[in-house]
Amino acid sequence: MVEQPVDVEPTGQNVAGETPAAEPESVTDDTTVHDDDVELERTIGLIGGLAIGIGTMIGAGIFVFPGLAANNAGLAATLSFAIGGLIALLVALPSSELATAMPRSGGGYYFISRGMGTAYGAIVGLGLWLGLMFASAFYLVGLGHYASAVFAELGIGLPFSPVIGIGLLFGAALTALSIGGTENTAKLQNIVVGILLVVLTGFLSYGLLDAFGVFGRTSVPEQFFSRGYFPVLTTAALVFTSYLGFAQVATVAGEIKQPGRNLPLAMVGSVLVVTVFYVVTIFVATSAFGADQLGRFGETAMVEVAREFLGLPGAVAILGAGLLATFSSANASILSASRAVYALSRDALLPRKASEVNLRYGTPHVALLAAGGPILALVATGRVELLAEVASFLHLIMYGLMCVALLVLRRRDPEWYSPSYRVPGYPVLPGVGALASFGLIAFMQPTSIAIGIVVMFVSYLWYRYYAGDVTLKGDI
Amino acid sequence: MTDRISVLIPLRVLEGESVPEGIPDLLSNTHVVLLGYHVIPEQTAPGQAQMQFEERATARLDDYEAIFEEAGATVERRLVFTHDGQKTIDRTIHEHDCMAVLVPNAIGAVDDVLVAVRGTVGIDRLARVVAGVFGPRDTSITLYHVAETAETDEDIGTLLDGMVDRLGELGIDDARIETRVEREQDPLDAIVDAAETYDTVVMGETDPSLATFVFGMPADQVADQFLGPVLVVQREPATDDEDE
Repeated sequence: MVEQPVDVEPTGQNVAGETPAAEPESVTDDTTVHDDDVELERTIGLIGGLAIGIGTMIGAGIFVFPGLAANNAGLAATLSFAIGGLIALLVALPSSELATAMPRSGGGYYFISRGMGTAYGAIVGLGLWLGLMFASAFYLVGLGHYASAVFAELGIGLPFSPVIGIGLLFGAALTALSIGGTENTAKLQNIVVGILLVVLTGFLSYGLLDAFGVFGRTSVPEQFFSRGYFPVLTTAALVFTSYLGFAQVATVAGEIKQPGRNLPLAMVGSVLVVTVFYVVTIFVATSAFGADQLGRFGETAMVEVAREFLGLPGAVAILGAGLLATFSSANASILSASRAVYALSRDALLPRKASEVNLRYGTPHVALLAAGGPILALVATGRVELLAEVASFLHLIMYGLMCVALLVLRRRDPEWYSPSYRVPGYPVLPGVGALASFGLIAFMQPTSIAIGIVVMFVSYLWYRYYAGDVTLKGDI
Repeated sequence: MTDRISVLIPLRVLEGESVPEGIPDLLSNTHVVLLGYHVIPEQTAPGQAQMQFEERATARLDDYEAIFEEAGATVERRLVFTHDGQKTIDRTIHEHDCMAVLVPNAIGAVDDVLVAVRGTVGIDRLARVVAGVFGPRDTSITLYHVAETAETDEDIGTLLDGMVDRLGELGIDDARIETRVEREQDPLDAIVDAAETYDTVVMGETDPSLATFVFGMPADQVADQFLGPVLVVQREPATDDEDE
């Protein structure tokens, strides 16, 4: 069995006198081995990893964004999604290398804290936790829109808009389920992702044939850059939230079997799969209606597209799929946020109490509440685009820094750094990945950028106050 | 010492499963692989459970290790935090070359043992486990076979004689061995019925089939109904170790 030694020794202590938990001795295909014959079993296979990646991503890009994106960029929104996918791929490749070198829980936070030091780690780690909350709130608002559309479909007129109320309800229910439920949710997630892919493939194939005039209907003629060139980039920045899921695979890197093989495949594979789906979806949607009309349909534009093609059954299928997809994305993000809290608390950047496991259910109730509570407050704002952009901002910072961490580690080449997968095109590819990640931020709305910067600054202050003495960087 | 057979004892160490009375004595001639494991829900990272529970679990395993060593066994131990208990048990069996897995139940004196002999396949491992555990003590050994309708008395005789011979080679006097054959009964029910009058049972692991998928492994079913310990002899590990 391939044993990979781990030789990073975190030191120091935080304000509460807690020290970072000891690092394991080695990593095998099946376990993470600590001293004294203590092992942590790896139980997630390639399918499970892909399901996490695709399941987290597919909710937003297809079911929430088409209307908003088409409104901003016209048919060229297709290009925006392609740009997003390219950037995600540029980051997924370096992340894969880092993940095979350090297959531990915590993902991007772990790589950056070990490669670049505690300060960067704290900013990214706390940012990841908050970023996942923003993402989760975004999915929940999307879920609210789909649930409201169900009411509209049934002809139940409500005197108020139920979007936020439903989002809050599902947010609270998800948090409660994560704390109290011990059913095998991973299998369910795999099935949900499978169903989604089947429904979408059928729907999109029909839409593609239709767009090319197979059914004898002339599509709405559309100029590609109907809104100009600049909105293509701002839209790419907005819809980048659709590509946050692959990093969630890295957050559970400590639980993936044969990490050297499965991590790169799951991360890169899920990015490629969703990029194809997104690009085709936007193309089909804009061909069916034209950007103006699509924009007016808003968050649930896809339901109208399906109705146009396949009538009521199509609309019902997409409504159902939209509910499933946004729900699974929100669920995956809450769980990842709780993993991020654990990783921070393990390293003494948050109180140890934060990752405490509930004795009755065996679940990390403090971490889940720390994720679920703020999410509700964010859902209450109901600002889809803002939530999406802040989530993207915080993730893009992490993505950029992951690429930088890779460059740093490759140059210093410490003894403990021996990834089994090496990114092609070093140093150009990770360099471009970092520049593209940071560059995309510039195209966001000023409010989102301001909120993102405040979050980073507060994270830094927290680190200085709480854990200024903690050293997490590996010997270089 | 090196030719001791390895027996795995899986214990859900934090859920109150402990080493029942009589087990350390039963396994005093073997190499015990003590596996303490804790199954956690998917919402929890294994490392998270480790941070909180390692100390308590280690303390318990320390106690059990001491009990087994006192009884004369050699002991190896593992503490595993896992989302999938079955995967952990299977992996440990494989990594430590365990010949048998013990389903722990309390036992008093070990006067007699029922050995379920199913067919010629895996008979060598069955014999080695019986000899390894019961060889050095004076337990009386009953070889038990539930015949299928097509089987002739001759076939059965060859099968059981072969087993007796093999045990003889391993140093067990055939005076200690009895044989019992049952016909026209469901093998599982028959074993459970017959087991009642014995102190412990040794049986083989069966191939997973649709029935085992629905009702669980036969060995587990026997263990559930029979209140004493059951030693489940593991199949020969697959020879295609492509992942090693």
